[in-house]
Amino acid sequence: MLTCTPASKTGPGAPAAHPRYGEDVTEPTVVVCGMRLGYGQFVVLDEVDLTVAEGEIVAVTGVNGAGKSTLLSCLAGLHRQLAGTLTVLGSPPRDDAAFWRAVAIVADLPTWYPGLTVREHLELVRLTHSPIRGWCLPADELIETFGLVARADAVPLDLSSGQRQRLSLAAALARPSRLLLLDEPEQSLDAQFRQELAGLLREGYAANGGTVIMATHDADFATAAGARRILLAEGRVAAPGLAGPTP
Amino acid sequence: MTSPAAEATSVATIRSFVGSRQVRRRAWYDWYAMGFAVVLFAILASDVLAEPFSRLTAAPGASPPAQAVAGAALVVAAAAGLLVLAQTFGPLAIAPADASWLLLSPLNRRAVLRRPLTTTSVLAALAGAVLGMLALAMAGPYLPRAHHELSAWLVLAAIGGAGFFTAAVLTAVLAQPSRRQRGRLRAAAATVSAAAVLLGVAGRRWSGLAHAVTAGFEHISYLTASVLAAVALAAACGAVLMARRMLPLFPAGVLRDDSVRAGRTRLAASFLNVPLLTWVAEDNRWRGQLLASRPWPRLPNALTLAWPRLSPAFTLAWADWRRLGRRPAPLAVLVASTLAPALVAAAITGHARGLTIAATVLAGALAAGTQGAAALRRDANDPTLRRLLGVDAGAALAARAALPALLSAAWLTVALTVLVLAGALSGRLWPALGLVAAPGAAAAALRIARAEPIDPSQRGPDTPISTPPWLATRAISALLGVIGCFPLLKAVRAGRADGGTFVAQLALSVIVLGGYLFFAAR
Repeated sequence: MLTCTPASKTGPGAPAAHPRYGEDVTEPTVVVCGMRLGYGQFVVLDEVDLTVAEGEIVAVTGVNGAGKSTLLSCLAGLHRQLAGTLTVLGSPPRDDAAFWRAVAIVADLPTWYPGLTVREHLELVRLTHSPIRGWCLPADELIETFGLVARADAVPLDLSSGQRQRLSLAAALARPSRLLLLDEPEQSLDAQFRQELAGLLREGYAANGGTVIMATHDADFATAAGARRILLAEGRVAAPGLAGPTP
Repeated sequence: MTSPAAEATSVATIRSFVGSRQVRRRAWYDWYAMGFAVVLFAILASDVLAEPFSRLTAAPGASPPAQAVAGAALVVAAAAGLLVLAQTFGPLAIAPADASWLLLSPLNRRAVLRRPLTTTSVLAALAGAVLGMLALAMAGPYLPRAHHELSAWLVLAAIGGAGFFTAAVLTAVLAQPSRRQRGRLRAAAATVSAAAVLLGVAGRRWSGLAHAVTAGFEHISYLTASVLAAVALAAACGAVLMARRMLPLFPAGVLRDDSVRAGRTRLAASFLNVPLLTWVAEDNRWRGQLLASRPWPRLPNALTLAWPRLSPAFTLAWADWRRLGRRPAPLAVLVASTLAPALVAAAITGHARGLTIAATVLAGALAAGTQGAAALRRDANDPTLRRLLGVDAGAALAARAALPALLSAAWLTVALTVLVLAGALSGRLWPALGLVAAPGAAAAALRIARAEPIDPSQRGPDTPISTPPWLATRAISALLGVIGCFPLLKAVRAGRADGGTFVAQLALSVIVLGGYLFFAAR
């Protein structure tokens, strides 16, 4: 069963509630207008318009090099757009403490601390995001949900690539957030766990008000997650709300 | 209202959490190994620095003006080079694991970055202090000072050097988030370095210029030096304050990319992994560039018919030629670096002079050769393309040896000609000797490029008393260069070359390159 972790139980000396990033915003979680993205002279995406509502799951699809990862990176404020406007939780990405409390991203596999176990990496995430307020899963439950019980006390360098991917996804759900950005989360995962992950995103994260935007090539995974599909093609959003096979 | 940042876990707590769970704590033998390395480094450094610092107490006549100017120029060029190096790999960077787990979090960014900034500042101050004292040592005989003021001059030089270099490095930190500012800073450092090298070499050729510069040294009074040191200190303090103020706003994206790159660089440098270092250096260069694709060149039909194996091998090797044509900057640096041996010759005296010039010549020849072997570095362990084109390993390697050999030949010819023009060598044989030594250097460049990356988990134990096995494999490449160019290097060290040297070098070059191609392609 998915549980909510109240702040009063987990936060060390958690004080009274404070406003979170974009908490008082009534508009959609993400609003993109006429955005252009690129690297140097190379324009990857142009004239991108996208609106994502709170609690929605959006799957961004497209062939390799379509700009899916670049779009996610830009939504996280790690890459600056060349033109257009971008609003995340009511304001442009600010790259400050409040923003990173509200936004989580799983892109490339992280570099692991050589001395920390699987469980300790998850505890570290909770520690860096304390006081914990909002929906997330405790470390023990994440370890169980993500099938890492047998390897909970191993260091990540001893895990298989699929297990490392599970751990990096688990780390994103070990802390509360309002927007979760996932870059090809299905990578290295077996078919059964993909379905379980899709269910967790839909019934756990999104059902508790979180918004998910993920780049994916797996149509079944996107469908299982109940995602609205966006197709990027030839540098533009070719089909918002697509309901066909994923490229 | 309480701000979220104020409630967040402190970075010290996080570091304590991570630190307390390290797999292995340092034992007494780790401290012994570190202490041993420090003492060894101190002994070697004192041996190298003894000669330059001996000039501090020398009379003006003991060190000719040209030497003082070249020495000072060498120090300035070294400072500019260090700055470019620092800027290329950071200069502000955190451990890759910290970048993954602490950066994109609500943690106070100023606290996360305070320690790396302090490390960068301290390292810059130490390097700057050494550079400042070296610059003083170079100009020492011409400074108007009494012997009892020597320690005061040294202190001022150390403060001045530390201050100015720290300010420069922290300026690089301030420029780090902006690609344009980084480019400007790199261009400024390259310009300063080139001007210093030119001045140093020109000072040896035209004594009037050297006299004018040393006359300038004589006008630096104790008061002027004190003011300069104070200005340097103020500049450093200002830069530290500005950098500290900027820490909370330092963009996470830039810092994450730079930290990952710095981590890879540290790993590659630890194992002398040239392919990985090259990849790190080139990764950012090509991303975001649109290149004009051109058709693959074809050899004339007559050549293809005469040597059917030549055409596909040439096709494979052409990647390096094309890459070189698309990167004019390294070529320009190579051209500028041909002045380096002449500058070293002008600046250094004593028993190590000949050896240092020879080492500079060898390093330049190898650097030039490796510039022509980048594609080889990338697919050294992947024979797929070679099989696809139907090229056997020997023909492919031979075709790929041509560009490194040409680049080494060009570099050696120009560098040796500059040495002759600067008066460090005499005779007309040197440029020709450079030409025939190039194949020897090319063999070493090819071996450097083809060296397989070292898997850190398979490298065997590092102990204070034994040489790590991976170091031996890397040293063999340099040794091959020494063997391949031995007659030339011996002649450069002695300052004399004759017909016998030429013949010996020609024979050795053919044997070394031919032998390497024969054995490496098997």
